Amino acid sequence: MTDTMASVTKSLHGVLRPSVMISVAAVLAAALLGVALIFAMGVSVLDAVAAFVDGTIGTPYAVAASINRSIAFALVGIGFVIGNRANLVNVGGEGQIAMGGIAATAVALYGHVAGLPAGLPFLIPLLAAAIAGLLWASVAGVLKIKAGTNEVISTLLLSFIAVWFLYWCVQSPELLRKPMTSSATLPESLEIPDPTKLPLLTGDYSFPLHIGLPVTVIIAIIAAIVLAKTVFGLQLRAVGFNPIAASRAGISYSRMVLVSLAAAGALGGLAGGFMLLGDQYVLKDGFSSGYGFDGLVAGLLARGSVMGVIAAALLFGFLRSGGINMEMVAGVPTALVMVIQGLIVVTLAGAAFFIGGRRT
Amino acid sequence: MTLDLLAVFIGSSLRLAVPLLLAGTGELVSERAGVLNMSIEGMMLTGAFAAAVGAWATGSPLLGLLICVIAVFPVALLQAVLSNTLRANQIVTGIGINILVLGATTLAYREIFGARSREQIPGLSKWSPPLLGDIPIFGEAVFHQVWLLYAGLAIIVLTALVLRYTSIGIVIHAAGAEPRAVDKSGVSVPWVRYLGVIFAGFMSALAGAFLSIGDIHTFTEGMTRGAGYLAIAGVIFGKWTVGGTVLACLLFGAATALQFQLPTLGIDVPNALLIMLPYLLALLAVGGLAGRQTAPRALGVPYLRR
Repeated sequence: MTDTMASVTKSLHGVLRPSVMISVAAVLAAALLGVALIFAMGVSVLDAVAAFVDGTIGTPYAVAASINRSIAFALVGIGFVIGNRANLVNVGGEGQIAMGGIAATAVALYGHVAGLPAGLPFLIPLLAAAIAGLLWASVAGVLKIKAGTNEVISTLLLSFIAVWFLYWCVQSPELLRKPMTSSATLPESLEIPDPTKLPLLTGDYSFPLHIGLPVTVIIAIIAAIVLAKTVFGLQLRAVGFNPIAASRAGISYSRMVLVSLAAAGALGGLAGGFMLLGDQYVLKDGFSSGYGFDGLVAGLLARGSVMGVIAAALLFGFLRSGGINMEMVAGVPTALVMVIQGLIVVTLAGAAFFIGGRRT
Repeated sequence: MTLDLLAVFIGSSLRLAVPLLLAGTGELVSERAGVLNMSIEGMMLTGAFAAAVGAWATGSPLLGLLICVIAVFPVALLQAVLSNTLRANQIVTGIGINILVLGATTLAYREIFGARSREQIPGLSKWSPPLLGDIPIFGEAVFHQVWLLYAGLAIIVLTALVLRYTSIGIVIHAAGAEPRAVDKSGVSVPWVRYLGVIFAGFMSALAGAFLSIGDIHTFTEGMTRGAGYLAIAGVIFGKWTVGGTVLACLLFGAATALQFQLPTLGIDVPNALLIMLPYLLALLAVGGLAGRQTAPRALGVPYLRR
């Protein structure tokens, strides 16, 4: 009995940690400012909030769509946390998603996978997506260990390059653009064949949760265990705290940088694969629009905890869905969601000072 | 390539390089003082927006420029407070500010202009320097430019001179390399760094104004499209010297100009490849073309007095 009491008190302490409280306070304050902005724009706050709620939990479809968004944010966010353990800041989620989406489309459309048995039609494109993301992030890793290039600037530049590469792919018939039958043919790929689409958990399109959800939950659990309980997790942390001391202890800095960035990239690529195979089915320009940055913010907000990433990813998934509906129904631009996110990041970065200067 | 086309190419390279040159020089000073300012992207966007709105509302591009500088100041101050006084992670704060500004300017743009988007906005006038402007072919295509370009070049030269020959330059350099020595000599390190960030804000404001009311006479959502990050890459490529940064930014400008130039020469290169060229070049530049990097030793590390 006392044991249960003790563990309850302990977990309560975990939830009520100052850093968690400050995160919650920052989110609430930013949301409040969002409401104030809606008011200032002269839009009925009630209408806007009603549209927001309708877009998040109004229908089973809205719930599933929000969760599917959260999956992509969570994967990118977990990748960010892994890199951040080694004191790396991977801001290239956007490009890693784009490369994953491109690879998944290419393999699903032209890889002759549709006729394969037993899940292979979608598993192979997913694998291709993860590998594409992995390779893309590895460029930043190699530059970091060979030339000492700051990974922030390299992953950012890689994102711009990937996003324009995506544009190139959907603009050129010799790459992924669908055959031009008329001048009105849209700059996008063909729709991927049915067998390559991710199976839905319920099999029902009115509640389109796909298998990305259980996969992401498993990845999150594995990542949390690896980071907290394994030698590898400890080595990452050691490199993050003090690369010189870590290398004296026999831990290779280069290996840790490469592996953690590659893992983050693979998760980003997988996120792109899930978005394409589970949700969008057609590759278009702007495919990754802002998903990488939302994932990054989720990672930042989580302050190193995988559970925190999941919470933040869910928050942003629903926030984005609600924001989109708010734009369509109440005429409030989705840019409002960006304002809220930016405020959260800035507030938390500044607040770190007041809770003992923990690294974000 | 005919002489005419060459002249147009040089002229547009210069014009497209100006925002990078201005922001890059500001960033250089801030980094020399020890603050990595990812937020120059957001400051440029704020500047572009404020200049456009200011010029549109007052009808005077000059007032637009003034409003732009005033509007960017709080953004720069926010970055300075976060990275000096609150000793926050400079990369995280920079990215947070950029997201915030992208959202806020998009929101405000839709509120103010709404359906009247893409409206022409009064822009800064052009000017030709005497003599240079009279050179046949080149005079018109290369030297007939928005006056802010010449003002900007003058500020860059002045910055180079101050950094190299004055005690202010030495203090800025020391704040990024040996902050403790600066502190011991009785000069406040945070104070120097505040000024560095605010200077970067001022230069980014001019860069943003050049984009909107100098170049295309309108504002579009997220119009900086990573120009701030290119400017940071330029500083790294230029090995934290004014001359190097200027050359790097000119190179990125020329790479951007190619996307308008090659099609007129009948060379068929995918448009997307040309658009990504400056970013690709920047990546190669920061990834080793420049050799081992020699960043200021205390770059990105908030100063804590012991």
